[in-house]
Amino acid sequence: MARRGSSVDERLVQFIAGLRGAGVRVSLAESQDAALGTRLMGAADRSIFMSALRTTLIKQKSDRPIFDKLFPMYFSTGSPPMLHASDALSPDEIEHVRTALRRLSGELQELLRRLLEAAPLTDEELRQATLRAGLEGARRPSDGVWLTQQTLRELNLSDLLERVEELLKQLSRLGLDEGALQEMRKLLRSNAQVLAGQVGRFVAASLADRLRERPRRRTAPEALLDRPFHSLRASESEELRRQVARLAARLRTRASLRQKRGKGRRIDAKSTLRANVRYGGVPFEIIRRERRLKAKFTILCDVSTSMRPVVGFLLLLVYHLQDQVARTRSFAYIDHMEEISPAFAHERPERAVAEVLESIPPGHYNTDLGQSLDQFVHRHLDCVDRRTTVILCGDARNNYNPSRTDLVARLRRRARRLVWFNPEPPSLWGSDDSDMPLYAPLVDCVYTVANLRQLTEAVDELFH
Amino acid sequence: MDSQVAVKQGLRKAQYIATDEIATVLYLAEHLGKPVLAEGPAGVGKTELSKAWAAAAGRELIRLQCYEGLDETKALYEWEYAKQMLYTQLLRDKLDDLLGDAASLAEAADRIASQEDVFFSLRFLLARPLLKAILSPEPVLLLIDEIDRADAEFEAFLLEVLSDFQVSVPELGTLRATHLPLVLLTSNNTRELSEALKRRCLYLYIDYPSIENELDIVRLRVPDLNLKLAREAVEFVQRLRRLDLHKSPGVSETLDWARSLVLLNARSIDSRTLDATLSVLLKHERDIQRAQLGLRRETPGPSHSAETLQMPDDQEPDNGEEGVVRG
Repeated sequence: MARRGSSVDERLVQFIAGLRGAGVRVSLAESQDAALGTRLMGAADRSIFMSALRTTLIKQKSDRPIFDKLFPMYFSTGSPPMLHASDALSPDEIEHVRTALRRLSGELQELLRRLLEAAPLTDEELRQATLRAGLEGARRPSDGVWLTQQTLRELNLSDLLERVEELLKQLSRLGLDEGALQEMRKLLRSNAQVLAGQVGRFVAASLADRLRERPRRRTAPEALLDRPFHSLRASESEELRRQVARLAARLRTRASLRQKRGKGRRIDAKSTLRANVRYGGVPFEIIRRERRLKAKFTILCDVSTSMRPVVGFLLLLVYHLQDQVARTRSFAYIDHMEEISPAFAHERPERAVAEVLESIPPGHYNTDLGQSLDQFVHRHLDCVDRRTTVILCGDARNNYNPSRTDLVARLRRRARRLVWFNPEPPSLWGSDDSDMPLYAPLVDCVYTVANLRQLTEAVDELFH
Repeated sequence: MDSQVAVKQGLRKAQYIATDEIATVLYLAEHLGKPVLAEGPAGVGKTELSKAWAAAAGRELIRLQCYEGLDETKALYEWEYAKQMLYTQLLRDKLDDLLGDAASLAEAADRIASQEDVFFSLRFLLARPLLKAILSPEPVLLLIDEIDRADAEFEAFLLEVLSDFQVSVPELGTLRATHLPLVLLTSNNTRELSEALKRRCLYLYIDYPSIENELDIVRLRVPDLNLKLAREAVEFVQRLRRLDLHKSPGVSETLDWARSLVLLNARSIDSRTLDATLSVLLKHERDIQRAQLGLRRETPGPSHSAETLQMPDDQEPDNGEEGVVRG
């Protein structure tokens, strides 16, 4: 509930602004729904009020924690009233405490008086204190913790519970009896909690206001597409994974449309006749043959350190598109060839990619494509036939080992297509230990895949 | 009484135990006229909710099951050429009567044109679930199940229908809904839905129920199972959910299991009963093995926390009581 009932709408607007500040996308229509919904449900039951807000404003599970964190900041129950000393103690005892109070140090005396007289902090006091505590320096929602502690210290309220104990000890030394002491403890503790809660809420609310004024800057997702793989930061990987899922969805639609509406699909006479029997043989429905059989992929990827990001995203994309492919076998190599398809059989692509890359730790290996290809040809040649597109993903930096171009040529003859994904631009081919100029003429096509956009385009080509 | 409490009671009467959140969302959906998008793990009762909601609201349930490749003709309507042709054949004599005395070709064509409505009418329209929901003279509840399985193109099309509940049929013109249907979409979250669709819906995330709620559900749906055994069963399932399984058992599996326990006349959940029935709860061989492993590691004793279930135990399990789950 809002602090004042009449200002629910106003508070709601601030709350939505706070959500946006924390990175939740809330549209105008959704805020309107929220206003209608809360008006309909009323604010009498807090949990129902919260459900109404959440269902109208939060549309994905991952945003729920943000909502749950911000909600109490804007719609607190209001402080429970502080208990006055006279509620718990008899007039005699209060008199006794008063006398004892005079003998305490100034600081403790001030604290005790505040707790006893049930005087909540004023907004002005709180505002000053949060400013002194360094509100200006807060950048993230997580800064709330230190800011709260700092504000408590500014208000001389830090370590409240311990100091309550200290107070009680002194009071007991001053001759307060045990029963009264217990009452005092209860009273002081509950009042101390109210004060701490008041500070916590105020800090959270001012922090949210502040963060809203300077919204978090996010890297535009589109820009990420064009960033070279090797310059991507780990913090951007979450955003990138979402991008990959989105790109995969787009590629899937395109691939399936191509499959469905593509030109050159021949009429299937037998099925057409059968389907049109019910129209008295008049061919209203034309049935066409499947345009072609779905492709099979065999992926051979170099998982040495420099290649990891590219390989990760390639596998992610291809395995997101599994429904458009008849079969995919994948292999990883550095100095020998290893099949990694089983990992994808029972895990979702994200987990499987992580698993595979973990199981082959980066390090100093002697990259040897020639030997790896030799092993592949000996053990796994059965997964290359004339329906198979073989994808070699690597930088062809072979440590001056034999390049075994004969094996590449052999694969090329056997497969439907042999394509090479290389993150290096052609200008670097042939420099140092790069064998790319030897391989390039033997394959159907070389794609330069230095960033996500190029990779996506190259993967899309695979489905043509 | 007209509030989320009434909704909750209505659902309960329809054998569905709803949380306050679910009741609130459904109540809002009824009053704001918005579709509800329910997400959550498989088997938590999303589809079940639609049946209970329909019963509680006294509406007919129309279900559209989504799958890959679902298109408008399967979801909205199909034109029945065959029926149309049959009618044309049968009405030929009547047509002769009508046209026999026409003086010119133009006059005959005009006369046919004036009868056009007969051939382009709802009579020849085969309504699929979406159109059925729109045309229904009674208020209905439309369940669009597993929307995440349909293609993105279909999602865009659905968006258009859901926003104003009208469709245009080229042969007939625009058809508008007489009553706004209640709409429940479910998704197992196998892919991200479009922002636009989410924005238009009220969002409801249904998680696995708490122990108390699940026990209530079991008591309501499988009343033959005695309270002690029901509690043991629910506690066991809740512990399974905390294991790292490929597919955690949903509420529907709990209910199936509870029913099997009744059928087998089980007195307690011991290792023999478990071995015989674990496959009702877990649908992957690997999960079953994993669960058995986790159970064997359980320390014999009164503790039931999932931690003991997962924690490797140095002690060899007592052979005689291997894998026994204590209630």
